[in-house]
Amino acid sequence: MTAVTIRVSRFEPASGEPARLVPYTVEVNEGARVLQALHAVHEQDPTLSYRYCCGSGQCGSCAVRVNGKPALACMTPVAEGDVIEPLDLPVVRDLAVDLVPRLERIAALMPGGDGALPDAETVDRLKELCDCIECGSCISVCPAVAVTDFAGPTAMRQLERLGLDPRDAGDRIDQADADGLFACTSCHACYEACPKDIQIMGKAIERLRAEAHRRGMTLPRHAEVADLVRTTGRSVARTITPLFEQVDAVIEPNGPVRGEVAFFVGCMYAMRLPETALDAIEVLRRNGIRVIIPREQVCCGSPLIRTGQLEDLARLQAVNRETFAPYPVVMTMCAGCGATLKNDYVDLPFRVMDFNEVLSEFGIEPPARLPLTVTYHDPCHLLRGQGISEQPRALIRTVADLVEMPAYCCGSGGGVKAGRPDEAAALGERRGEAIAATGAGQVITSCPFCEFHIRSHTDRPVRHVASLLLEGYRAEDREAG
Amino acid sequence: MVENGVRTAHVLVIGSGGAGVRAAIEAARHGSVTLLSKTIAGKGGCTPMAEGGYNAVLREGDAPELHIADTLKGGAYLNDPALVEALVREAPDRVRELVAWGAVFDVGPGGGVAQRPFGGQQFARTCYAGDRTGHEMMQTLMDRLAATDTRVVHECAAVELLLDGDRCAGAAALDREGELAVYLADAVVIATGGGTQVYDISTNSSSGTGDGYALGYRAGAELIDMEMVQFHPTGAIHPYDARGRLVTEAVRGEGGRLINDRGERFMSRYDPERMELSTRDVVARAIATEILEGRGTPRGGVWLDVTHLPPRQVEERLPIMLEQFLAFGVDIRTEPMEVAPTAHHIMGGLRITPDCATTVPGLFACGECSGGVHGANRLGGNALAETQVFGRRAGLSAGTSPERNGEVTPAIERQLGALRERFDGYLDGDEPPGGVVRRLKTTMWNGAGIFRERDGLARALAEIEVLRNERLAALTERNLIECCTAVNMVLVGSLICRAALLRPECRGAHTRRDPSCELPPDRSPYGHTHLSLVDEGIVEAAS
Repeated sequence: MTAVTIRVSRFEPASGEPARLVPYTVEVNEGARVLQALHAVHEQDPTLSYRYCCGSGQCGSCAVRVNGKPALACMTPVAEGDVIEPLDLPVVRDLAVDLVPRLERIAALMPGGDGALPDAETVDRLKELCDCIECGSCISVCPAVAVTDFAGPTAMRQLERLGLDPRDAGDRIDQADADGLFACTSCHACYEACPKDIQIMGKAIERLRAEAHRRGMTLPRHAEVADLVRTTGRSVARTITPLFEQVDAVIEPNGPVRGEVAFFVGCMYAMRLPETALDAIEVLRRNGIRVIIPREQVCCGSPLIRTGQLEDLARLQAVNRETFAPYPVVMTMCAGCGATLKNDYVDLPFRVMDFNEVLSEFGIEPPARLPLTVTYHDPCHLLRGQGISEQPRALIRTVADLVEMPAYCCGSGGGVKAGRPDEAAALGERRGEAIAATGAGQVITSCPFCEFHIRSHTDRPVRHVASLLLEGYRAEDREAG
Repeated sequence: MVENGVRTAHVLVIGSGGAGVRAAIEAARHGSVTLLSKTIAGKGGCTPMAEGGYNAVLREGDAPELHIADTLKGGAYLNDPALVEALVREAPDRVRELVAWGAVFDVGPGGGVAQRPFGGQQFARTCYAGDRTGHEMMQTLMDRLAATDTRVVHECAAVELLLDGDRCAGAAALDREGELAVYLADAVVIATGGGTQVYDISTNSSSGTGDGYALGYRAGAELIDMEMVQFHPTGAIHPYDARGRLVTEAVRGEGGRLINDRGERFMSRYDPERMELSTRDVVARAIATEILEGRGTPRGGVWLDVTHLPPRQVEERLPIMLEQFLAFGVDIRTEPMEVAPTAHHIMGGLRITPDCATTVPGLFACGECSGGVHGANRLGGNALAETQVFGRRAGLSAGTSPERNGEVTPAIERQLGALRERFDGYLDGDEPPGGVVRRLKTTMWNGAGIFRERDGLARALAEIEVLRNERLAALTERNLIECCTAVNMVLVGSLICRAALLRPECRGAHTRRDPSCELPPDRSPYGHTHLSLVDEGIVEAAS
């Protein structure tokens, strides 16, 4: 037995006091899980309320937040200093949340058809949606649930599971639409939180949206974007001089060539925020990296995939594949494009790297430090879509002091900004409040959608990592005279 | 006076596992139903944890007679034949019904529900959904339940059955806040599952505390064969807190091999014909013997190995096993699992007729809390089938019971008064229930485990008597339920030990070391053990 000290959130509704973290030191066996530590706490203080049942990850009763992240208490090793809090849902007492009303929004199968077991192929498709243990983790982290009446990620999973099943008599597309199908921002927080690793966005929500599209239920703003892509190859309309017309196709570095990337610019940086892309190019040049910008490149297809409008997708993918085939490394700086190339294209003949990865891997000339404190907004499609979180932080710290804030969606993704602007604004406001709470002077991010959207919801400057680095280099140049 | 009001329904179902929910679905066709669940309904009990499968005769080449013969032989002929008949004849319809309701079972070659071999069966008749069969069934049943008008009361635990004369008229329960609630009904179905949490090493969910045996016994119902406790051969042993966690029989069904620390595939010494797919009593004793005789692993287990199987088969057919072992750092595709027996299932329980009537009028029982279906040893895959066959039967019997429009009679008032006195005692007690439960678990594991003898059982009973007299303490009303559960567990421990002393033979899972075990089970002179408030004994045939 060894002693561990953990802090456990205690909340008694009748007291009128807010929840508080209480430290407990308990003896646990080697290999103990959080649940065993909670049992030991309960022995010390029998007033602790917490749920558990199967003890083996199969019933979904014991989901809590361990150090801020949802986890099954019965499957998560306990460690010294762990902070155990309830899921971010209405709390009944201590670690027990009011789960049943959320679970009641998960649809039930309505028997229909001949009642026979579907064929093996259908069953295989159903099975990947059947692992849910209804622990509530995904619901608790979903930004759309926080600001809308969205039924929640696993409710969408269930609707896709029912819709695929010939034995179900319900109309699951109409129901999905009513339950908030287009509320999902594609942030993937649900997937990250899911103890069963169910990819709800890709395996359920995008498929439901594709079916809704076939039925003509696409939101008008989403249809306009798809029209634009079809006619121009771009998801953003031309209102300014695009990046492609501002720079050469091959941009040589300042000094010797240390590396080379083909730049997949993306619609937002090409058509709406070219100045940010220019900053990135300048940073790459300073660091010896040749930038090639093939002119034939088109939209990655992300706005179509996320909204279920797949007709033109294959064509876009073919053009991009062919355009970039000659280059070993393709760089993205839009988090959405990067995640799409990495996750929605199959067997690409080149390596896709985000801007932050490129700089981290090649190494950079240190910029001057600026008297600045900044916070970093993790773009969902960079953090969860590509697993990139440390590289941008390391780059930022070369220039400025970094204060952290919780990573959650700003509301700009998944077609929500265009299709459901009120929801996007509500999430943007939450982001604005989180930014203000850090006291940071600037917000740094690494995605044009986030950059553009957050600007409407904070009084601080919102900039890309590249722009901050470039400012550091310019200060360096000034100091050098 | 009942401070919390009195709720009435035509049928009260206690328990929200596979049997209870199936009973509620059936009963709801006949009148109002209230389902009490001490957990969030659908999450408690052992059904959602059941991994391996559901036995049913579905294919050409198999026959009900074979399933009956396997079940009787596996049960050492202690089963109640009428219950076995019902189980086998109705299991196919019940699985087809689950399929029609949307259950996603795996598909076999040529279509239809896939079946795999399990221990003690002449035919591969275990239907499955990967190794999360029970979870899939539970999802399906909860969907159906939602389509009925059943009133589901979550996190409310029945603590005593209420009697009007000799008739069961409802139950008293404690809700999440520790407040007493009274539920009256024309008929009550008890479907509280098993109780191997009374053992130190157990596969059961935390709700497997045997409440139904205790509630029924205190209400005067007769229990049979409580000594028949199945030790599943393969439970995890590491780390300490995961000890006992079920390693499904499907691992052996898929071809897993048992190997001792000398590298020997030791089942060849115990059952050379059936090897790893022998019945659970045989395999558990074999593993326990290997360990006791010094051929176990350093941690006190044996190896269960699937590394010779294609990794894809492990990933597709045993995903939960893969996930659970990976969580503790073992990749079962490349490393063997370390396993040892673990208390799994109580074959005994409330005596029922094929219509699920207990010996108390108005009280029905189904699922693991009832006895007689499995005899002295249960075949893997027969428990999930039992939940559906007898869940439906209990719901039907209760649902078609006559309406009585019962009310709180003076007799019920007296019982509630006694209950309140008990609660006051707990609020004034001095012994934390957690410690009592821990002592019970150790006592049961040491005294009433796989191998038993009279002196050890008697010592266990003496210790249980000490535990029974502890003044259990509840710090707040919300802790009352912990005291009630501890009392139930201590009573269940006592019932198991008393029944084990009553049976002077080795039979199925019950291995006595003191009397000789000469006679083959089909020629045993002994029938059921039976225990009730008024009498206990064992049936002995005149030779």
